[in-house]
Amino acid sequence: MREFHEYNPITVAAYYLCATAVTMFTMNPVVIGISLFASVINYILYAKNGIKPHLFSLVLFVIMAAVNPLINHNGMTVLFYLNDRPITAEAAIYGVTAAGMTVAALYWLRLFTKAMTSDKLLYLFGRLSPKISLILSMAIRYTELLRIRWRKISDAQKALGLYDDGNLIDALKGRARVLSILITWALENGIITAESMDARGYGTGRRTSFRLFRFRMRDGLITAICAAATAIAVIGLNGADVVWYPSIKTTLFEPVSIMGYVGFGVLSILPIIINTKEAIRWRYLSCAN
Amino acid sequence: MAVFELCELSFSYPNSAKKALEKVNITVDQGEFIALAGPTGSGKSTLLRLLKPELMQNGDQSGTILFCGNPIGDLPPRESAARIGYVAQSPEEQIVTDKVWHELAFTLENLGKKQQEIARRVAETAAFFGIAPWYRKHTSQLSGGQKQLLNLAAVMVSEPEALILDEPTAQLDPIEAARFFDTLYKLNRETGVTVIISEHRAEELLPLCDRMILLDHGTVVYDDAPRAIAQRMDKSSPYLPYLTAASRVFIHSGGAGECPLSVREGRKFFKSREIVSGNPHSPSATAPPGKEDCAALEMKDVFFRYHKDGADVLNGLNMTVNEGEIFAVLGANGCGKSTAAAIMTGVLKPYSGKVKLFGKALKEYKNGSLYRENLSCLPQDVESVFLHATVREELRGCEEIVNSLPFDLAPLYDRHPYDLSGGERQLVALCKALKSNPRLLILDEPSKGLDPNAKERLSELLRKLQSSGLTIILISHDIEFAASCADRCALFFDGGIAACESTSDFMCGNRCYTTAASRMTRGILRNVYTVDAAAAMIGGDRS
Amino acid sequence: MTVIKNRAVRTVLRYAIPFGAIPALVILGATVFDEKRYLIISFGVALAAIVLFMAGIEKKNIGSRRMVLVAVMTALAVIGRFIPLFKPITAICVMAAIYLGAESGFLCGALSVLISNIYFGQGPWTPFQMLGFGMIGLIAGYLCEPLKKSRALLIGYGVLAGIAYSMIMDVWTVLWYNGTFSPDLYLAAIISALPFTALYAVSNAGFLILLKKPIGDKLERIKQKYGV
Ligand SMILES: Nc1ncnc2c1ncn2[C@@H]1O[C@H](COP(=O)(O)OP(=O)(O)OP(=O)(O)O)[C@@H](O)[C@H]1O
Ligand SMILES: Nc1ncnc2c1ncn2[C@@H]1O[C@H](COP(=O)(O)OP(=O)(O)OP(=O)(O)O)[C@@H](O)[C@H]1O
Ligand SMILES: [Mg+2]
Ligand SMILES: [Mg+2]
Repeated sequence: MREFHEYNPITVAAYYLCATAVTMFTMNPVVIGISLFASVINYILYAKNGIKPHLFSLVLFVIMAAVNPLINHNGMTVLFYLNDRPITAEAAIYGVTAAGMTVAALYWLRLFTKAMTSDKLLYLFGRLSPKISLILSMAIRYTELLRIRWRKISDAQKALGLYDDGNLIDALKGRARVLSILITWALENGIITAESMDARGYGTGRRTSFRLFRFRMRDGLITAICAAATAIAVIGLNGADVVWYPSIKTTLFEPVSIMGYVGFGVLSILPIIINTKEAIRWRYLSCAN
Repeated sequence: MAVFELCELSFSYPNSAKKALEKVNITVDQGEFIALAGPTGSGKSTLLRLLKPELMQNGDQSGTILFCGNPIGDLPPRESAARIGYVAQSPEEQIVTDKVWHELAFTLENLGKKQQEIARRVAETAAFFGIAPWYRKHTSQLSGGQKQLLNLAAVMVSEPEALILDEPTAQLDPIEAARFFDTLYKLNRETGVTVIISEHRAEELLPLCDRMILLDHGTVVYDDAPRAIAQRMDKSSPYLPYLTAASRVFIHSGGAGECPLSVREGRKFFKSREIVSGNPHSPSATAPPGKEDCAALEMKDVFFRYHKDGADVLNGLNMTVNEGEIFAVLGANGCGKSTAAAIMTGVLKPYSGKVKLFGKALKEYKNGSLYRENLSCLPQDVESVFLHATVREELRGCEEIVNSLPFDLAPLYDRHPYDLSGGERQLVALCKALKSNPRLLILDEPSKGLDPNAKERLSELLRKLQSSGLTIILISHDIEFAASCADRCALFFDGGIAACESTSDFMCGNRCYTTAASRMTRGILRNVYTVDAAAAMIGGDRS
Repeated sequence: MTVIKNRAVRTVLRYAIPFGAIPALVILGATVFDEKRYLIISFGVALAAIVLFMAGIEKKNIGSRRMVLVAVMTALAVIGRFIPLFKPITAICVMAAIYLGAESGFLCGALSVLISNIYFGQGPWTPFQMLGFGMIGLIAGYLCEPLKKSRALLIGYGVLAGIAYSMIMDVWTVLWYNGTFSPDLYLAAIISALPFTALYAVSNAGFLILLKKPIGDKLERIKQKYGV
């Protein structure tokens, strides 16, 4: 079963960039509604991270929605007065929309972060620049190594009795000592790595970059669908406008904007469509066997 | 055709008067498997580096090196990278990238090969080396043996004609090392690649190789088939430790007839000889020097795991170390020996079980008194001990200990700890560990990467420390080393001690996990596990 | 940039990006997107600038040793970002820059942000942060001689870098929140971020003092011994 996130990293990255960009650059309540709904569903289905991130989003949403009417007093429909300042419905609705936009964008970005694991990031960079992607690859390896080594060194120092956790100053001194040893270790052993690179022909001419991910027909297809949906959304939404102040006037439901909403709607549930299709096909195949 | 031809090759490093190599003449033919042996500092690494132009170091060189008939310096960089493969000692640091597949592709990427070609060669190599199951893993998650195999495979993707290896198995346990040699042998047989390898593990390597070159002080002492070299040596030769146990027994016993190399040939040799004397090591005849009644360290039903829902690494470990003895803990890579050491030192806490040091629970030692005058541990990676830029600073406050050692460390004082050889690092770190004047010393793999002479001296040193009242726990996978100095040995397996006996009982009781001498004489001689003892019992020819 | 095989095309691109693409982005951004235009413009410009720098570095011949050392320093900076409150990332970039060269400083800053954001979250801020820390490294690299010699200058640089970085990031916060730049909001943002800016400047200076000797001496030794 080939889930959406197993498509080529270019496709996946392009998808999330499109979804995030459309969300961020429209202040259209309908788009934001769709976006928020779809991104949360996508996140729940893909990330399976428990309740904590959602709680954080909720708090952020409430705060951001509340701030606008408190500092912005434009608008005609006064709901009530707070410290002699008018709190208006227009400002409140704007606040809710803006907060929705931010939270939706945040969800899309979280999905993007989760999907773009280090090897996918490396693949993208490898296409751009083999040399920098090599440094990136080495640096990722060293972060892991340094973490392991830190533990080993601090254990060794403790067992030699050179590391007192007694008071804060001693503890800090101990850390500094471990850090110093770690740095020496990393730099000195780096030379062995460099020799190994030389021995294997690094720097003898133009490098190529080997890639495990292949860009197949279906990656192209999904990228094309993604681009088309984005284009339809952008064109369709061009005319859909909201004037917030002094009173809300919208041109949200022209026929051409409906097309835009459909385009964006398809874009935002694309991973769900793909995964569902695959799941059905899988079930069908396993029944057939 | 000759792959390498070295003619009157001499080399000296810039700031040293001594020549690292002197008038070396060697011819290496296509498809040969050559072992390079010699004491520390004899110039093995220097020689091997000269055969790989990318690794050539600054220094005065005279004489010529030909590769396939042409001076090696004239080789275009891409060709020398592709045609001469080089694998060094440390499994970890030679790896460049973060993923196994990327590491395999790295050489070909550097050579600017096309996507399809890289894919084909990587696939082929991964299949040959059996890497496929961990092809997509992170390189930091591999075991030491896997890492070294990956390093070898990553060099082989460019289909080199010559493969140069500098102590590739120094960090591996005997079983992983044997697997590595097997792969190397298969490679040599099936692809015809020329192999030149420098190694201290004569036992496993010599039966496989066509030729052995013995270097000392930068000159070639012997250059012949291992059997022929053994035949030419006599009892007093200083190079005896570089031969296999079977050959050594043969030489000790007078050396008539065909010299045996492997354990199998050694057994045949024993069967063909008369046995003269009785039992030199009768079991438990000599009581171990440890005082049975005072336990230095006691571990009772210790359970430990690294993560809440991980597997148990220590699984009901029970162990008692008597005061004043040298206790060896043997076991394979990754079986939990270092973890056990961390528990003993109180760095890690078991989730169940008791650890007592000199009759007192570990946590009763307050305010770091545990590490002052009670216990000290030399870690597996001695580099984690070095803090300063010179050995002098490193050893400040340890002058008394340094003076009491049978080694002279003074020439090292102004060097950086990372510029020392493996054995020297080990010594300096040992001095640091002894600084707190401990009663119990835990050593994790002190013998790795040492040449036979250095091992012998280290084992003497441990004996000397023992006689001054120190209890020593020796963690190692070097069976021969443990056999040479331990009073009792324990086999670590599945998170616990599977067997724990006096060294002679242990070595003679085990069938595989024991010294070469014991494997050779099993069922023929009783209770023999050292070469000297075996040689002493050999008589004349039976027939 | 080596994916583009044709040399002429590469040359054209090299000039097209700074003189064509960036102005085009600015104009396009100003006319097409009426909301949030500054954000998208600045985003595009930041991205283009990073690509430009990296393309320059790609063409340079960085020796394998320098490369490994940059990777190690980057890894150290990434690990440093996990320390709560006090972040040594600036100090490490500066050290990389003054001992290994300006490009190394840039790479160390930019790549450590990219890697650590795998854990902290990628977003439109990633290019800005990359550019920010990259520039801190790059400029330190150009000032390497005075910075190496004078401790006071080094500390001054750390403090200044902290303040400047924080203030530039605040511009971005305002753009993100408001769509256009507003001096009032900017002031508010600066004031509300003051404690962080202060902490940041102090920890930069502190880490620079703390790390100068251990990292500097070690890099110096490696450079001496192996000729980086
Ligand atoms: N970079 C160097 N500068 C100066 N002298 C060196 C250098 N490297 C090695 N030597 C010296 O050259 C001689 C040969 O060293 P080499 O490393 O080749 O020995 P080796 O046989 O490989 O030893 P080991 O078994 O410990 O690896 C030694 O005396 C050593 O001290
Ligand atoms: N910090 C850690 N976190 C999780 N697992 C670990 C950690 N350290 C070691 N392990 C695991 O615990 C097991 C025992 O490791 P340990 O290092 O104690 O083995 P060892 O017997 O000392 O091996 P070696 O001979 O290679 O030194 C291994 O499977 C290892 O993967
Ligand atoms: Mg050597
Ligand atoms: Mg261990």
